Amino acid sequence: MKTKRPHAAVPPKVLYGLLLAAVLVYPNLTNRYWQDVANFFFIYVMLGLSLNLIVGYAGIFNLGHAAFYAVGAYSTAIISTRMGVPTLVLLPLAGLLAAGFAALISKPILHLRGDYLCLVTIGFGEIVRITLYSDLFGLTGGPNGILGIPRPALAGFAIRQPIHYYYLFLVFVVAYVFISKRLEDSRLGRAWLYIREDHLAAEAMGIDTNKARLLAIVLGAAGAGIAGNLYAGKMTIIAPESFVFWESVVMFCIIILGGIGSIPGVIVGAFGMSVLPEFFRGFIQWRMFVFGAAMVAMMLFRPQGLWPNPRWFKAGGAKETKPEEVAPSAS
Amino acid sequence: MKRFVVWLCVALLVVALAGCGQQAAPAEEEEPAETLEPIKIGVQGPISGQWAYEGEGFVDAVSLLAEQLNAAGGLLGREIVVIPGDDKGDPKESALVAQKMVAEGVTAVIGSYSSSCTEPASAIYDEAGIVHITPSSTATRLTEKGYPRFFRTCFLDDRQALFVSEFLRNELKFSKLALLHDNTTYAKGLADWTKLYFEERGGEVVFFDAITPGEKDFTPTLTSVKATNPEAIYFSGYFPEGGLLAKQAKDLGIDAVFMGGDACNNPEFVQIAGLEAAEGAMISTAPLPHDLEYPEAAKFIQDFKDKYKEDPTSVYTVMAADAFRIIAEAITKTESIDPEKIAAYLRNDLKDFPGITGPINYDEKGDRLGSIHLFYRIDANGQFVAYE
Amino acid sequence: MEFLLQQVINGLTIGSVYALVALGYTMIYGILRLINFAHGELFMLGSYLAFSFIASVGLVNVIPNLFLAIVVVFILSMGLVGFTGVAIERIAYKPLRHAGRLPAVVSALGVSIFMQNAVMLTYGTRYKVYPEGIIPTMAWEILGVEITLMRLIILGIAISLMFTLYFFVQKTMVGTAIRAIALDHDTSRLMGINVDSIIRLVFVIGPALGASAGIMVGLYYRQINFTMGWAYGLRAFTAAILGGIGNIPGAMIGGLLLGVAEAFGAGYVSPQWKDAIAFTILILVLIFRPTGLLGERVAEKV
Repeated sequence: MKTKRPHAAVPPKVLYGLLLAAVLVYPNLTNRYWQDVANFFFIYVMLGLSLNLIVGYAGIFNLGHAAFYAVGAYSTAIISTRMGVPTLVLLPLAGLLAAGFAALISKPILHLRGDYLCLVTIGFGEIVRITLYSDLFGLTGGPNGILGIPRPALAGFAIRQPIHYYYLFLVFVVAYVFISKRLEDSRLGRAWLYIREDHLAAEAMGIDTNKARLLAIVLGAAGAGIAGNLYAGKMTIIAPESFVFWESVVMFCIIILGGIGSIPGVIVGAFGMSVLPEFFRGFIQWRMFVFGAAMVAMMLFRPQGLWPNPRWFKAGGAKETKPEEVAPSAS
Repeated sequence: MKRFVVWLCVALLVVALAGCGQQAAPAEEEEPAETLEPIKIGVQGPISGQWAYEGEGFVDAVSLLAEQLNAAGGLLGREIVVIPGDDKGDPKESALVAQKMVAEGVTAVIGSYSSSCTEPASAIYDEAGIVHITPSSTATRLTEKGYPRFFRTCFLDDRQALFVSEFLRNELKFSKLALLHDNTTYAKGLADWTKLYFEERGGEVVFFDAITPGEKDFTPTLTSVKATNPEAIYFSGYFPEGGLLAKQAKDLGIDAVFMGGDACNNPEFVQIAGLEAAEGAMISTAPLPHDLEYPEAAKFIQDFKDKYKEDPTSVYTVMAADAFRIIAEAITKTESIDPEKIAAYLRNDLKDFPGITGPINYDEKGDRLGSIHLFYRIDANGQFVAYE
Repeated sequence: MEFLLQQVINGLTIGSVYALVALGYTMIYGILRLINFAHGELFMLGSYLAFSFIASVGLVNVIPNLFLAIVVVFILSMGLVGFTGVAIERIAYKPLRHAGRLPAVVSALGVSIFMQNAVMLTYGTRYKVYPEGIIPTMAWEILGVEITLMRLIILGIAISLMFTLYFFVQKTMVGTAIRAIALDHDTSRLMGINVDSIIRLVFVIGPALGASAGIMVGLYYRQINFTMGWAYGLRAFTAAILGGIGNIPGAMIGGLLLGVAEAFGAGYVSPQWKDAIAFTILILVLIFRPTGLLGERVAEKV
C-alpha cells in the first residue's frame, strides 16, 4: 500500500464519480459481445463475493460452490417453466432454497477441518452434478438441461438485449459489494475474523463459532443461489455442463487470485478468471494453454493476491502461519 | 482502494477500446459482391477439453474445403475466411462465442457440437439474422422454435432409433436388449427412442443405464449387464467408450452381440476394442463414404487424409463438411451472401444435393429429410462390411 | 456370489490405479501440506510418454525381450515424469512455499490446465490407442469369475510398488528424513536434513508412481486421452482423503476401497449413480471419522 500517496491529490469523490461514469457509459461504447463478456463477468463477481463470505471471511475451504449456484438456477428454471412464474419473482426463493440446502448439508460436516471439509464440499458438488445429469424425478431434464426459461421482466419491460442485462446485473453487483462491505464491518464480520485468526480464542471469547461458520455458508449459498437465478434468466437454457467441478474451481481461484477476503480483490480476480480468457481467443487452441501459464504467473507475481485485503496481510509482510488457519492441517 | 479504482477505470477503458476497434471493422457488409470483401464463415465447437477432437474435426473439415474453394477463386470471386470459436462445450461460453461471431460479421455459422451449446447460440444467431447450421446437434426441440435460418446436416435421433429397433426385432429376431448410453444429449436421446420403439415392437429392454464418458473401466456395469442375459448390447454413445465396452464385455465372457450407434462409426473403435473383440460387433450408421456412389465423398476423404494424415475422426467431421458445402452451394446459386436468400434457397430449392453423407433435402422446419441408416458388421480384419 | 466376487475383482483393478495415484497426492501433502492438483496431469503425461516410447519409438520391437522392453518403457517414462515433477516444484511451488497454502493451490490448478493443454497441443486432440497385443491376452475363469492376465499384472505391480514405498519410508534413512520433514521443516533442518533435496526427492517419487499407474492404464485399457488426468486425479484425491491424507497405507486402502465402492455402486445400484454413491460413503466416513480411515487423530480443540 505504499503507493497511496500519489493519489492523495485527487479527491476520492472525483475518482468514484469517474468510475461510476465509466461503468455506466461502458456498454454504450461497446458491442453486444463485450456487453455479454461484462454480463458474465458480473455473474462471476456475484459468485466470487458470495464465496468470499465462506472462504475469505469464515475461512472455510469450499470447492463445491457450484452446487449452490446450481440449486438457484435449477429451482428458478423448474418453477418458472412449469408454473409460469416470472424469473425475477423467484429471485428470493432461489436464494432461500440455496441457503436451506446449504444449512441442511453443512450441519453435520462443520466440525471437519481443512482439507477434509474441502473434499466434502467437492463431494456435495459432484453429487448435485450427478443428480442434474440423471434427470431426477424427471425434473432436471438430464443432459439436455432445461430450456425455455422466461427472460426477466421489470414492471412490464422485458429484459432482452445484453445491454439491458448489463444494467440489471450492475445493480446486483453494487448490492453485493455493499452487503459484503457491511457484513465485513458488522459484529458477525468481526466474529469471522476472530475465528479465522484463532479458533480457540474466539470460542473462549464467547463467540458461537459453529453458528458463525454456518451463517457464513448459508449467506454465501444464498448469494450463489441468487446469481444462479440471474444466470438462468440470462441464458434461458441451463444444462449441467455449467455446474461442473471446474466452475467451483474457477470461483475458488477468483478469491485466491484477487486476494483472499478482499472485496476489490474478488472483482480483480473475476476479471482475471472470466475476462482475461476472452482476450486470448485469438490464440484459438492455445488459449487455455496460455491461460494456465498466466494463472501460475499471476500467483508467482503476487502470492498474496492481486488486490489483497490489508486485514489479512497486515503486520509487515505475509505471515507464514496465517494461511494454515484457513485450512488447518490434519496431522 | 483508490489505486484499485484507477485500475478499474483503466481496465474498462481498455475493454471498451478493444470493443470499439472490433465493432468498427466488420461494419455493414451486406452489400453486393462488388466490395470483394472476404466472406466470413464461423465454425463454433469445443476445440479444447474433452470433446476437442470433435470441434477440431469441424474446423479441419471446413478449413480444408475453404482452402480448396479459395484456390479455385473463392465464392462469387470473394475469398472465404474461416473463423473458429472455442465454446469448450459450455452453454455460457457458447453464448459468448455466438456474440463474438456476430460482432465479427460472419455470414453463416457451422456449429456447435452438443445440443445444449447449439441452443443458446441459435437464439443469438436468429436475432442477428445469420445462417446457422449444426452438423451434430440432434435434439428435436432445436428446430421446433421456428428459427427461419437454422438447419442441421445430421439426422434426428428418432429416425436411427426406429431403424435399429425394427432391424433388431424383425431381421435378427432379438427380444432381450441391453441399452447403454453416456448421458450426453445425443446418446441419451438415441437410447430413449430406441427403448420406446423396441418395446413398442414387443421386445424387452433388460438393462438401461448410463456410463460416464471419459472413464476407462466399465466392468462393474458390464458385470451387471451380463447378469441380465441380453441377446445384444446397444451402446448409443461414442467410439472411445464403445471400443472399451466391446473389449471389456469380451474379457468378462459376455456373448451378446455388441452394437453401437453412429457415434461408434470410427476406425478407432476397432483399434480400441482390438480385432478379437471388435469382430462381429455391429454399428448402425449412415452409409460410409466408400459405400456412397458420390465421387464427392471419396474425394473429400482422400483430400482430408492427404492434408491431415488421418481419417476424419467422426461422422460429424463429415457432417460439418456437408454444412459448408450446402452454404457454398446456396451462395453460388443465389449469387448473394444475404442470409435470407441463402436460407430460403436451402429450405425451398435445395433438392437431392449430393452430400458426402448422402442426398440432402430439407423440410420446412430445417430438419434433414430421410433416413439412410444401415448396419455394418466388423469382420475379422477390422473392416466395416454392410450387413445384408 | 459369483457376481459379488466379480465385482470385488473389478473394483480392486480400478482401485489399485487410484491407490497408486493417491500415493503421490498423499506424499506431497504429507511434506508440504499442498494438494497438488497437477498430479493427475502427471499421471496422464506418464501414459502419453509411454505411448510415445511404444508406438512411435517402437521400443517393444527394438528390444527383443518383451519383459525387458516393458521395464525400459516404465523406467524411461517414470524418470521423465519424475523430472517434470521436480521442474514443476521448482518453478510453480517453491517460490510460493512461504506464501501460505492457498496460492500454491491456485498455482497447481494453473499447472494442471497448462499441462493438459500442452499435451493436447503436442499429441493432438484425438484419443491415442496403444498397439494391440503387447501383453498377451490370457484369461481364466475361476469359480465363475473372469480374470485376465493384465488385471493380475496391474494388481501385482501396484501392490508391490506400494509395499516398496512403504518400506522405503519406514525403514530407510531417507524415509526417516521424509517423515521428519512431514512433522516439522525447521526442526528437520536443525537435525541436518537437507529439506530442499528431500522435497525434490518426493517430487520425483510421487509423480513417478503416478506415471506408472498411467502406463498401466495405457497397457490395459489401451485408449488414453489428455483429459483423463483430471478424472483420475479427482478420484485419487478422494481416495487419499478417505484413507487419511498424509498417510501412505491410508492412500492404498482408500484407493482400493474407493474402487470397490464404485464397483458395488455400479453393480448393485446404478452405473450413473456410482460416483454419487462413492461420495456419499466418503462423506459418511468423514462424519464419523473426521480425519479419514487411517488419519491421525487430532485432539478436538474445542
